[in-house]
This record gives sequence, C-alpha cells and structure tokens, in this order.
Amino acid sequence: MLRLFLSLILAVSFFGSFSAKAETELWGDYSGVTLRVKLIGGGQYEGLYNEVIPWWEENTGGKIEIVTQKNHFELDKEIKKDIASGNLDFCVASNHTSFAAQYGSIYTDLNDIMPASVLADYTPLILDHSTVDGRLVQMPRHSDVSSLYYQKSLYEDADNKANFKAEYGYELTPPDTWDQVKDQSIFFSNPPDFYGTQYVGKEEAIAGRFYELVVANGGALFDEDYRPIFNSDAGVESLEWFIDLYNAKAVPEGVLNYLWDDTGLGFASGTIAMNLDWAGWAAFFNDPENSKVAGDIGLIRAPMGSGGLRTGWSGSHTFSMTETCPNKDAAASFLWALTSNKAQMIEARAGLSPTRPAIWDAIIAEKEAEGDEFMLMVFETFKQSLSLDAFTPPLIPEWIEFTNVLYPELQAAILGDKTPQEALETASKKATEIMEDAGYF
Amino acid sequence: MKKFLNGPWVLILPTIIVLTCVVFLPLLISLWTSFTPFKLTKPDTLYRFVGFRNYERLIGDYDFWVAFGRTVLFLTIALNLELVFGLGIALLINKITYAQKTLRTLMMFPMMFSPILVGFQWKYIFNDNIGLLNNFLREFGVINPIPWLVDATLANISIMAAEIWSSTSVFAILLLAGLMGIPKDPIEAAKVDGCNSWQVFKNITLPFLMPFIFIAMTIRSLDVARAYDIVQMMTGGGPAKRTELLWTLISRTGYVDAKMGMANAMSYISIFLSIAFTFFFFYKLMEARKILSYD
Amino acid sequence: MTKKQINNILIWIGAIFLILLIMTPGLWVVITAFRPQVDIMAKPAVWIPRNLSFNQFETMLFGGSEGSMGRSPVPVLSYLRNSLIISIVSTSVAVFIGTLGGYAFARHEFKGKNSYFFLIMLTRAIPGISLSLPIFILFSKLGIIDTHFGIIIVFVALNVPFTIWLTDGFFRQIPRAMSEVAMTDGCTRLQAFWHIELPLSKSGIASAGIFAFLISWNEFALVSNLARSTDSKTLTVGLMDFTSQFTINWPGMCALAVFIIIPALILTFMVQKHLVSGLTFGGVKG
Repeated sequence: MLRLFLSLILAVSFFGSFSAKAETELWGDYSGVTLRVKLIGGGQYEGLYNEVIPWWEENTGGKIEIVTQKNHFELDKEIKKDIASGNLDFCVASNHTSFAAQYGSIYTDLNDIMPASVLADYTPLILDHSTVDGRLVQMPRHSDVSSLYYQKSLYEDADNKANFKAEYGYELTPPDTWDQVKDQSIFFSNPPDFYGTQYVGKEEAIAGRFYELVVANGGALFDEDYRPIFNSDAGVESLEWFIDLYNAKAVPEGVLNYLWDDTGLGFASGTIAMNLDWAGWAAFFNDPENSKVAGDIGLIRAPMGSGGLRTGWSGSHTFSMTETCPNKDAAASFLWALTSNKAQMIEARAGLSPTRPAIWDAIIAEKEAEGDEFMLMVFETFKQSLSLDAFTPPLIPEWIEFTNVLYPELQAAILGDKTPQEALETASKKATEIMEDAGYF
Repeated sequence: MKKFLNGPWVLILPTIIVLTCVVFLPLLISLWTSFTPFKLTKPDTLYRFVGFRNYERLIGDYDFWVAFGRTVLFLTIALNLELVFGLGIALLINKITYAQKTLRTLMMFPMMFSPILVGFQWKYIFNDNIGLLNNFLREFGVINPIPWLVDATLANISIMAAEIWSSTSVFAILLLAGLMGIPKDPIEAAKVDGCNSWQVFKNITLPFLMPFIFIAMTIRSLDVARAYDIVQMMTGGGPAKRTELLWTLISRTGYVDAKMGMANAMSYISIFLSIAFTFFFFYKLMEARKILSYD
Repeated sequence: MTKKQINNILIWIGAIFLILLIMTPGLWVVITAFRPQVDIMAKPAVWIPRNLSFNQFETMLFGGSEGSMGRSPVPVLSYLRNSLIISIVSTSVAVFIGTLGGYAFARHEFKGKNSYFFLIMLTRAIPGISLSLPIFILFSKLGIIDTHFGIIIVFVALNVPFTIWLTDGFFRQIPRAMSEVAMTDGCTRLQAFWHIELPLSKSGIASAGIFAFLISWNEFALVSNLARSTDSKTLTVGLMDFTSQFTINWPGMCALAVFIIIPALILTFMVQKHLVSGLTFGGVKG
C-alpha cells in the first residue's frame, strides 16, 4: 500500500514536471457548440473517450455528441458511404495513417488550423506520416509497430540450448534475423500442441506483414512511379518464408484465417513460442487472468531480413477534422485534447505507444518509479522500434484495394495452389491495373 | 375514379409504392452506376459514363467467373440437400403424434438464428484450434486438428453445412404442412390394394408434395443471398478465394475497394442468376399445380 | 412387441437423434452465454459445465470490471426496444399491405396478372447487396437514415411479396359465392371481406406474419447499412459491438444472442398452431 502511495506521488510529480515543460494547450470558450464525432469503438479505445470528453466539455462549455462508435473496418465503410452520399454532417472522426489517403480531401489540412507551437509537441516523423499530399489531415493518437514477444523460459532451458546448437550449429538466443526465427520455430514446434510462431493470414494484415518482410529483405513493393516491383527475388524470398513455416507445420494450420485477435489469444494461450505483435497486447499477455505466459515474456525489436533492415510496418491511430465542420476552432481544440499530454498518458498507461516525446519520457519514468520491469521493457523496446525501424506502407488511396488483390495470391502460394513466382506475377499484374486506373502512369 | 377504387390497382398500390422506393428506384440507380467508374470515395465519378466497360472487363475476369460458377454449384447442392434433409425430417415428424407440437417448434429452432449469428457460430464450431467439432473429435482420438476452414474441400463443405443447418427447417416446415394436407383415403386404398410403403410414397405422397417442394425451392431461392452473412463471417471468401461466392466478391469490391460501379455490374449479372433460379422453380410450381388441378 | 410398436420406437429414436442434431449447434450458443470464461476457451474442452455464470450478462448490461479490457456496457435494452418496434410495426404493415395485394390478385382479373405477380415475387430475389448502397443514398437524401421509419419501410418491401403469395392462395380457396351472398344481403364489399374472407384466411395470414417477423428480426446486412446509433440499431446489428479491432468477444456475443433467440422462440411457439395449417393451403391452391 505504501509503495502504491509512493508511486502515485511520484507519478503525480512526474506528471507535473513535464507539464511544466510547457505543453501548448488549446482551450477556448465554446459554450453552445456541439461537435458531432465518429469514433473507433472497442475495449482498448474507449477508455480515452470516457476521460477526455468530460474534461473537454468542462473546460470549454462545448458538447460532444458521439454519432457512431464501431470498429475501424466498419467505420471505414460508413465514412465511404458518407462521402458517396455527400452526407458529411460530422466534425471529428477517428482515422488511421493507412486509411487516410483514401478519403481524398474531406478532411481539413491541420497545418492551417493547429498553431505551430501545438504541432511542435508531437514527434515530427509521425506528423510526417500523418501528411497526405502535403496536407496534415490527422492528429496522431498513438503509434503502432510490432516487436517480437517470446517465451523466455524456452531460451533458458538447458536441453533446448544443447539440442538446438547440435542441430543448427549456432547458439539458441532470441532471434536477430527472420531466418533464425524460421529455424527456431521449426525447432520449437510440436504440432498440434505447440508451434514455433504464427502469422496473421488474411486481408490487409498478411499483405502488411509481407510488405515489411519484402522491405527488410532489401526489396520494395513499388518503384517511384508506383509500378509494382514486388515480383522480385526479395518478394519470392519473403513469400517463401511464409510458405516454409506453413509446410514445416511450424505455424498452426488455421493461420490463413487468423487476424490479430487469433495471434494475440494464441500467444496468450501459451502454445506459441514467438509472436510478432503490437504494443497494445503487452499488458494483456502479462496478466495472469488472461494469459498463461504471464511472467515469462521476453520482448525484442523485430528481427532483420536479408537486406539488413528490421521489419517495421507501422501506422498511427489518429483523429481528423472534416472540411465541412462549421466549428473548426472548437474541433481543433477537441483534436488537441484527444491527443494532449493528459490523453496520451491515459493510453500509455494502458500500454499504447504515445506520439509525443514528452510522454515517452514520462511513462518510462513512471514505470521505473513503480518498479514495473515488464512494462519498462515494453516501452523501451517499442520506443526503439518506433524510432529506428518504423516505416509506413505507401500512403496512397489505393493501399487497401492493393492489399485485396495481393492477399489471395499470397494465400494461394502458401497453400501450394501456385508457385511463389506465379502468385506474385498475378498479383503484380492486377496491381498494375489498379495503379494504371488510378492514373499513376 | 370510381372504377379505380373498385378495381385491383387500388389494393396493389401500397405494394407498388413501397417496392418502388425500396427496390425499383435503387435498382435504377445501381444500373446507372454500373455504367460508370463510380468510386465511393470520389463522388464525382458517378457522373462519368463509360458504357459497358465494367461489363466488358467482367467478361474477361477469370476470378469473377470462378466465383460465379462456385455460387451456382453452391446453390444447387445446398438447395437439394436442404430439400432431402427437410423431406426426411418432415416424413419422420409426420409419423409422430405424441408431442408433435413441441417437436415442430424444436425443429424450427435454427430459424431463430440470424444468418450473421450463424456465421459467427459456425466459425467457432469449425475453428481448428478451439472449435467445438475438433474438440469433440479429439475425445475420439483425432489428435491432429482438422483445418476445416482452410482445406479447399472442407472449407466449402463447412460453409455449406452452416447454410444447410440454418435453412433446412424452412423446407421441413413447408413439407410438413404439405404432408399434413394429404387426404388419407387414397393412401388407405393403395394399402388395401397391396402397395408397399415405397410405392405409396412414390405414387401418392410425392406427387402431392411436388407443389410444396417447388414452393419451398422458390422461397429459398428468393432468400438464398442471405447466405452472404454466413459466408462472410466464416471465411470472407478465403483462404485464397477457395470459398469465394459472388456475394463476398461483390461486397469486397464495392465497400472495401470502394469500386461501386464495378460491384454493381457484378450485381446485375448475379441478379440474372437469381431470376433464373426463381423463374425455374416458379415455372415448375405452376406446372405441378396444373397437374393436381385444384381449381 | 408388435411390428407397429417396434416401428414406433425406431421412429422415436430417429426423431430424437435428428432433434439433437438440429438443436446442438444452437444450444451450444445458449450454453456458452452462461459459462465462465475459463471454461469456454479451455483446452482440452470442458464438456459438462461445472457451474453457471451470469458474468457475460453482467458485463453486457453494466460494463466490465477494470482491467478485463474494461468494456463499456452494451445498450441491450435500446437494441431490444428498436428490434421490437421495427419488427412488429414492419410485420403488421407488411401483412396489411400484402393482404390487400393478395386479395386483389385472388379476386380480380386483369391484363398481365401473372407477370405482375411474378415481378413482385422477383423483387425478393434481388440480393440485398445490390440494393444497399442506392437505398443508403436515397434515404440519406430523404433524411431517414438511422430512423425506425427507414428500416421499417425496407422490411415492409422485403416481406410484402411472400405475404401476397400466401394470402392470394388463401383467398382463392374461399368460394366467391360466400362473399357474394353476403353482399346481396346488404354488406359492402369491405364488410364482406372483413366478416367472411378475412376470418377464413387467418391461419394463412398468421403464417405469413411469423415468416415476416423472423426475417425482420434476424436481418443484418440491410439494417447495418441504415442503422448507426442506438436510435435505430437492432439486436442483430448490436452483435457487431462485440467485435473490435483485435478481438471477437464470442461469449459476450452469445449472451446477446440469447436476447435474440428467446423472443423469437416464444412467438413461434405461440403461432405454431396456425403455421402448419396456414402453409398447407396458402401456397398451393391457385
């Protein structure tokens, strides 16, 4: 109890110390103003709204009306329908760096609206990623990148070490390259009870994983004219990584239907040795109520591909303001509040990665003070991953459509319906059509 | 005016108004969009006429025709199996006199399940890791989990099983209604004449049931697109397009890729498919009615 | 034992087996709603529920405890209210309009009757997916997105064709002479309809009603398109509240599913009696 008390005091004092470092606040008197907003719903996202909305309403006299709250894929469909029907009667909406380019110019350029001193509080690279065609269309809420979670005890076991060395000729340590991940996964696997690793197997998810591996292997999806060039050696090499693991039964047989929930719950069930996953899962994995691997988790930066780069597919959850919003000042103030120090601290405490340098310092200091070594490791690892490894997918409106022609071909190759070369040729032909239709060349 | 008020049209008018608002007008809009490169995110493209370009592309689109063929196959197999199972259930329940009312309600249990719920439910039944079915098989020594929703054949069987579970009841209840309406005399007479059960079934019961069979088929072929919710939730058409049906393809093209013009061209082709199925059964129904000549 | 008794026993065994086969996948959903979380994801599976738990319902109605990914409560009661209003109103309207239409087709002769009849049936054959966007655009211009009215009118259109079909069959088997006699006795046509033809076709109307109700109650794709907030979201659309970016909360979904299944089951049981007799004549005679 005393310890908790102390850490509270420390937390408060740290909180105090950075806000003294002068966060630029953006308050105003907006009594009588009602902002209609569309937000992502779902467990880990809603905590923020419950705190920030009352806080903002109290300080400005304005009111927030939540028009919709649903998961991002549903929200995406809804906003597309709104655009099609010219029905943009809301002010603020959740957005994502990977989705933002699709929405054209419905969202305001915040460079014109947010004071420079406010923007200076965010990580410049993330603001860069939030910019489409030179327009800052979104304020970053938190950033995502993946790091590699693993079961620590597997690597401490003497038998494992000896057997692995005998079989593969090098020491068993947490992997530094994706080839090592493959070796170790095959080594650890004992299907159907235990698997070395797993991957998300469909839709944008696997397309993104493939993309980051292509980059890590020294390739690229597109050249500078957005002509597809992933049907290259790097592309085939990347795809073969997925295929080899699947054929060796080093991943569960159902992976091609897996999305993020399946991989997260899979690792928590204790039947997976290594899991490349997002920061948001860390607290869940280490909670004995939900997870069998609690207390036995290691975390390292994502491994390297053959090109010497680490995989770092990254994106940020964000908020945008519509062009049609009648109260841009109030909306700007609300956007700021949603991504302010206070807001980001709330999300950071839940394990998400902040987009303000000040909050990185604050949360790390707080975890140090609490003596929470696990979360400290989580934040330090993700801080490195975000600053050293992160890169976004091409920020073009065709990204999602592109992933929809790519992923069935990846699946076909993994299942053995096509050779990797054939699959990538087909995908590249279809991608060329998309890019042609969109007028890139 | 008086003539109008006494005629049939005043009675049909409300139907026409509702159907115009909800079906005919929207159909015209989507017909128009199928001749444009309409993208949801670019509303201006709604006004650019490109003639038959979408349709021309579809004709050469291998994936589309594979999905088309699979949909026809899926419909044919699913409807026929539902018919056979439904008939079996109806025949059995018809034989039972005690507690029949309760049995009938229990038999209709799957009809209480929304297709979207059926989709989630069977996704979890067929889940390879924690699914009901694999857990069950494990008790009988099948240790290696069967990848129901991955293997090409199994995945198609799985989505079909879900569809059949959710819709067989409709057949059963309609056919049961038919069986209960069969007059008893001809059957008694045939038995006196020494016909065995199979002969009675083939020569008396079945012809009498024919109209009910076609009604059930018509109703189901009208409704079958509701299977979209089921398949979308279970597999989304994957993996590697192995369970891709027209409906999953259309909704992904339209709402995720935002290519509504193209999606509506696909819809129009699929509407012809629905009309063909419905027309076929409707025609059969009319014929069967004539044979029985009720009037 | 006589041959007949053996036969009977065999039939019962068959029936019980069948009912089990039909019931199991559905009952499993209901049971999941009442099981503690640890049992649901357990591997190897726990077959016999060790204890009942109302946790899922508690979380759904009042929100989750802190730490368990703190879920906010699902507005089940609003959804239930919307579902009831929408399904009951749309079913009543569809049955009313459809009965009028059925009467017109049964009692009047006019040019192209069969083609019109078939055309009306066909509207039901059009996949919802080809209609959803145009309906959305049209309705948003009319300002009836996210209202009960907008969803009700869609359901009416969905259910009218089948109602016309069933009631048409029913009216045909009622001899014209009956209403003609009534009319010569001084009844108006409407009175004759009300006192003679309507009561005679009530089981047909009831079965059309139950089908219409079940379709409205369970429809997802079209409503999810038109419903956006608790003003109009129905229970089936509410199921999607249990899917978030990363997870599907399957046990929670089962808890909500119980709210969907039970009312439909009760209603079906109540109308049961009419259902079989209603279907017997409705569709066939004509």
